[in-house]
Amino acid sequence: MSLFGGSGSGSSSSKSSAEVKASIVQQLQQESAMSNARLLIEKINENCFDACVPAPGSSMSSQESGCLSSCMDKYIQMWNITSKTYIARVGQESKRMGGAASL
Amino acid sequence: MDPQTQMDISNLSDADKQDLSKILQNEAQKTNIQQNVHQLNDICFKKCVTSRPISGTLDRSEEACAQNCVERWMDTQFSVLKKLESMQK
Repeated sequence: MSLFGGSGSGSSSSKSSAEVKASIVQQLQQESAMSNARLLIEKINENCFDACVPAPGSSMSSQESGCLSSCMDKYIQMWNITSKTYIARVGQESKRMGGAASL
Repeated sequence: MDPQTQMDISNLSDADKQDLSKILQNEAQKTNIQQNVHQLNDICFKKCVTSRPISGTLDRSEEACAQNCVERWMDTQFSVLKKLESMQK
């Protein structure tokens, strides 16, 4: 799946039900991946700018660039931990409350 | 949505419509979880990565902090909910 969404597929005059379904699902997943990526970029930008560029100079120093690349790696690693911990906890809680409640 | 796609929707069979609504629900749930994770990670990164990032891997204390941060955030949410519930009575 491309990060910025692919170009629309050529539209045929009359698609079957299955084809329509498939293209809607594909579009849905593309939009979802896009919004996920956009949010990640926004948050990384904000947090790493704060962490690495405390006093913006006339150009990016090599120290700042190094910091940024470490920061991005750290942010993504942490995202994976957060996701795993959150999903595990939500699963635990819903089981505790009788299993019927979903996320 | 372009008119082409709108026209196409009328071609959907009832079974596919039902199927689609299920898929839509799943996607919505997935998106909801992802958004919560983004929100939480934003909060926890600020709390747990306090020094200037030098290495590209989280150290052990940052990792533990990240897990604790999520757990305590959830605890907080539950106690807020409990408090509100008790106030309703």
